[in-house]
Amino acid sequence: MARLFWLLGIAALVVAPFLVKSPYYLHLLVTIAIFSIVTLGLDVVFGYTGEVSIGHAALLGVGAYTAAVLSMHFGLGMWVALPVALVVTAGFGALLALPALRVTGPYLAMVTLAFGTIIQILINEMTDLTNGPLGVKFVTPLFVDLRPYGAALPLLDMSLKRMKEMEFYYIAAAALLVTILVINRVVASRYGRAFEALRDSPIACDCMGVSVYKHKVIAFVLSAALCGVAGVLFAYSEQYVAPNNFTFELSVQFLLAVTMGGRKSRLGPILGAAIIVYLPNLLADIALFRIVAGVVAAVALAAGAVSVLRDRDSWRRVAAPVALCLAFFAFALALQKITDFKLAIFGVMILFVVYYLPDGIVGSVQRLLRARFARRLAADPALANLPQARAITVQSSKQGAEMLLSVENIVMRFGGLKALDDVSLAVRPGAIHGLIGPNGSGKSTMMNVLTGIYVPTAGQVRFSGAVISGLKSPQIALKGVARTFQNVQLFGELSVLENVMVGLHHAYRSGFFGIVASTAAARREEALARARALNILRFTGLEALAAEEARNLPYGKQRLLEISRALALDPTLLLLDEPAAGLTAPDIVELVAIIRKIRDAGLSVILIEHHMDVVMSLCDTVTVLDFGQKIAEGQPDAVQRDPRVIEAYLGGGAAALAT
Amino acid sequence: MRLFRLLSLAALALATPALAADPIKIGLSGPFTGGSSSMGVSMRDGVKLAVSEINAAGGVLGRPIELVERDDEAKNELGVQIAQELINKESVVATVGYINTGVALASQRFYQEAEIPVMNNVATGSIVTKQFAGGDNKANYIFRNAANDAIQSRMIAEEAIKRQGFKKPAILADATNYGQLGKTDLTNALQKLGVTPVATEKFNTGDTDMTAQLLRAKEAGADVILTYAIGPELAQIANGMAKLGWKVPMVGSWTLSMASFIDTAGANGDGAMMPQTFIQVPTTPKRKAFIEAYQKAYKIDRIPSPVSAAQGYDSIYLLAAAISQAKDTDGRKIREALESLNTKIEGVVTTYDHPYSATDHEAISDNIPVFGLVKGGRVVPAHPEDLEGDKAMRVKPKA
Amino acid sequence: MQIFMQLIVSGLSVGMIYGVIAFGYQLTFGTSRTLNFGQGEALMLGSLVGLTTVNFLIGQSLGTLTAYLLMLPIVLVFGAAQGAVVEWLGVRQALRAKSDAGWIMATIALGIIFKNLAENVWGRDALKFPSPLPEASLSFGGVRIQPMEIAIVIGAIVLMTAVEVFNRFSIYGKAVVATSNDRDAAGLMGINTSRVITLSYALSSMSAAFAGVLVAPVTLTGASMGAVLGLKAFAVAIIGGLSSGLGVVVGGLILGITETLTGYYLSTGYKDVPGLVLLLVVLSVKPAGLFGKAAIKKV
Repeated sequence: MARLFWLLGIAALVVAPFLVKSPYYLHLLVTIAIFSIVTLGLDVVFGYTGEVSIGHAALLGVGAYTAAVLSMHFGLGMWVALPVALVVTAGFGALLALPALRVTGPYLAMVTLAFGTIIQILINEMTDLTNGPLGVKFVTPLFVDLRPYGAALPLLDMSLKRMKEMEFYYIAAAALLVTILVINRVVASRYGRAFEALRDSPIACDCMGVSVYKHKVIAFVLSAALCGVAGVLFAYSEQYVAPNNFTFELSVQFLLAVTMGGRKSRLGPILGAAIIVYLPNLLADIALFRIVAGVVAAVALAAGAVSVLRDRDSWRRVAAPVALCLAFFAFALALQKITDFKLAIFGVMILFVVYYLPDGIVGSVQRLLRARFARRLAADPALANLPQARAITVQSSKQGAEMLLSVENIVMRFGGLKALDDVSLAVRPGAIHGLIGPNGSGKSTMMNVLTGIYVPTAGQVRFSGAVISGLKSPQIALKGVARTFQNVQLFGELSVLENVMVGLHHAYRSGFFGIVASTAAARREEALARARALNILRFTGLEALAAEEARNLPYGKQRLLEISRALALDPTLLLLDEPAAGLTAPDIVELVAIIRKIRDAGLSVILIEHHMDVVMSLCDTVTVLDFGQKIAEGQPDAVQRDPRVIEAYLGGGAAALAT
Repeated sequence: MRLFRLLSLAALALATPALAADPIKIGLSGPFTGGSSSMGVSMRDGVKLAVSEINAAGGVLGRPIELVERDDEAKNELGVQIAQELINKESVVATVGYINTGVALASQRFYQEAEIPVMNNVATGSIVTKQFAGGDNKANYIFRNAANDAIQSRMIAEEAIKRQGFKKPAILADATNYGQLGKTDLTNALQKLGVTPVATEKFNTGDTDMTAQLLRAKEAGADVILTYAIGPELAQIANGMAKLGWKVPMVGSWTLSMASFIDTAGANGDGAMMPQTFIQVPTTPKRKAFIEAYQKAYKIDRIPSPVSAAQGYDSIYLLAAAISQAKDTDGRKIREALESLNTKIEGVVTTYDHPYSATDHEAISDNIPVFGLVKGGRVVPAHPEDLEGDKAMRVKPKA
Repeated sequence: MQIFMQLIVSGLSVGMIYGVIAFGYQLTFGTSRTLNFGQGEALMLGSLVGLTTVNFLIGQSLGTLTAYLLMLPIVLVFGAAQGAVVEWLGVRQALRAKSDAGWIMATIALGIIFKNLAENVWGRDALKFPSPLPEASLSFGGVRIQPMEIAIVIGAIVLMTAVEVFNRFSIYGKAVVATSNDRDAAGLMGINTSRVITLSYALSSMSAAFAGVLVAPVTLTGASMGAVLGLKAFAVAIIGGLSSGLGVVVGGLILGITETLTGYYLSTGYKDVPGLVLLLVVLSVKPAGLFGKAAIKKV
């Protein structure tokens, strides 16, 4: 179905210049194609990675001015400019990513804004290099001169001007198609999953061995590279660029395009680009604008009516947006000259999209038609020919006396507070080691120290002989330490299968270019990973839910999913942080069985729990913490009777009662 | 066959009345908002006044003139987009306008390519009419009826150095094409008089603080400030000097006559001098009629930019005369007519008698502009004797 | 040397303006973890509304200084109202949806809308704001400073002190502080945190509007005056740390002086660059700011 759609789209692209005779409107189509390349790139940063970037117009400018410098100072044309601009702008993207690495949300937005402003200033002031405010002229090139064949093709207008326009149109259209292909492949690959993972839970991402830093940089660099290509095409299409072409307002329009069109889709950003390119034209023609406003009002009214017919109470929700659309139509009728209000209209559109159309037009239509581009699972022929992928491997099978994990005199201070005070413990290979204690005793802090989220103030942690305290979370994860979280940290918008596949990230060998080129090796790896992930889900009993979005799962299943994801890391040691919290009795039984299976497969487990029956039935050894100090350690039933432990949980008097 | 011919003739005859009312579209591109807007709005109003007069008298070739106006906001890239729209979408036969040299330079090539004439009625950068002159170009479609910067910079240099005796000029110019090209013209003109500027400073449009530039000029010992910029920034130069307590005279390009300079600088702007092709004083009957018509049509007393209004008005009359003479709206024919105008046109600035030739596309020669002076919120003649008696109407010498 | 001192003095008043705007960022960030990306436009609107009011009052034959003083409370009220509108339209819904991108884009959109509306009402030109104090500069040892620039410094300090006093000593102020410290706990204590957030936005825009009428007489006022100011004030807020009042003042002064020095010794075109670069560097190295405290992640 989707394939047919794309074939139609490509056919339309090919035929368009013959139908659109006016050079003005053909130029508009070219601009839409060029801006679509930018918005598709922006979708990677904004739609997938979830960061608001207000600097993409500046990156477009970098691409355009690379072409300008090459043309003005070296006399080099478009074909040289394209690859050079791609590399140069990608470099700027990496530069932008540097301050963006450690911040997120509004800080990151401000970083992109500052970056964009600096670039505009530099372009404006470095007049020797860029000609500054005077701007740079370009001449649209002609590469294939078909005029000698004019006699054979009588249908076409063979003037130089028309030839140039049509040829450039095809170049831009081809660039757009290549962009769509590249983006498709990247977001379907582990990079796409990593982008969404780092948006939904950066901490879980790091703890799954997928470096948040690295993938943020990749997202920005990819996005910037596309802007570079678009910039060169833009320069040669407009035939003139000046610093004022690449303003904050344009960056905001790109954001509007992605949000209004629909993020995480290919059609959405293209539709959005069409809207922002065509809107000024629409506004210039007051009659046409009124017609469009009228259509929008009619559609809103119809949609609202349908919604209310389906569900009486929904009128409250739809009243405001429908009223706004009608008011907009009235505004269109009242005003004589709309072009002055162009930017205000953009602003209102942004507000409307933020509140009432968060999935964008494409997303809303998708939901309405209930035709989701379902993540297909089965019927992958590659799967059939693969050997049964094993669910669990243990990296190093160390049975015997030597300790797997050795925690030595850990102290963790936060300001004046000692969360962990000289705690030592040791975990045997193949053991299930319980870690219990009242709330606030330091159990989760210990987890965070073990997985590199905190660097201990003093003391050391050794894992399989090597020191891991002080390493970053992704490094520790890749050494074989996996964890689940007390507050579930799933990648909500990814499917259950994709969540597990993020954990499998470490097993891939093919690189970025392998994915873009869709080499046989890359495809094989991906299929193998799917098979492996499916097997892990079978292991934990979740395979029926594989295609479901993680955030839709019931709570108990979410916890099992976290465990599945952790298993994908091929860990030697699994840290479970209160896995039974909030589970019903039958879920707990299932959980205990799975933990036993995990141990039987050769993994070691550290289990933080409050459910004493779970601890008693599973653990070989139990360590008890209270106020950051270790107060008891030993076999479960011994610890259970220890008076200090009882005092910690129940208070002084109770200790005397226990025998 | 005969029947066919008869039928087609009949069809044509029926169609002609419809064609007669078919308007002649003329493009109008200028900054109607932003820092240059006093010039753009006055130019547009002058143009509209001329168009309404011509249409009331029956139009051109029996057809009314229809203006297609677009606001280029003094931004080069917008000018480019507007040029493409006017040529490809609106199919104008000619365009008047361009206040800003940069916008003109960026946009004109599309008209030249399309062989559609452009009448620059305000933009003064010297190379505007030379962009497509000679070389590979078979014809030049760019015309002008404003006083270009080669003329103005010579006048500024002569006034400041020779007439007023200053020795240490500082040049303050904005970063646009206009400012930078004007600065070059000015530096050359000064050099011919054997003087080098003691300081040459630059600023961006939109800048409000000129302290740094003025301090540097002051440190260099400047005794006069020569300017090439537009209203708001010029006002900040004047205000900045007052703030620093350092007041030297300002002599600069014609933009010192803009309302936005005069109003924003207030008392600090008094005494500024600039070359003007038209000062709002009724020194001839034609000028008196123009001023009164303008004031009546737009219900104001002081024209925000008298030069722009007058030149805008004249530009339409020049084009109309050329279209009438060519008896056609084809761009090539209009150009040829402009280059060989055989009727005298009585304009506000001057009387145009064969103003253009194939090699000369400048209607204003260097004897036409006189110096204006800002005084009490208006522009008055700096040397009243320049406009007395016969000298009120200054015409371009015959080639 | 004298030039150097002149540049430093010129930078002080500019810096205080940045400080006041940055102060506004702090107010809203404290209570709601959100910022108004259209803060520069709040300043611009305050300045233009102030201009219209002052011109109207002068037209009623009032002296400029009297007109200015009478205008101040009007502009403060306007600013507060504008802030409340921004919060209601831009932030409230997004906060409920717990979406960062939502309020970021909504406040940007509101800023754009305000700017475009201002362009249509007041035009796109730069306008002159009548100065309540004499425009002639005073000279202190060869260094010239306009009386209005001194007024800016004093006015900025008065405003920030007033808000601080309000926060410390009035019950409403204490509610603001409580919500900043722990929104959930404050809610549980019976504080209407939603209203507190609206109040903080009102105070924030009020500060920006006040800054607008302070700075307008020494520069030009117009629809585009707010654009870069908002970004640079954010740089100040970050450099100073989004939780430290003193940090904001120090940060503002640092930025103001750096700008004037860059403008003279390097080139005026590059004036804005040091602040922005400083912003990027601080966010790369110490995101909590020079004066801020790093928060501990709790997982």
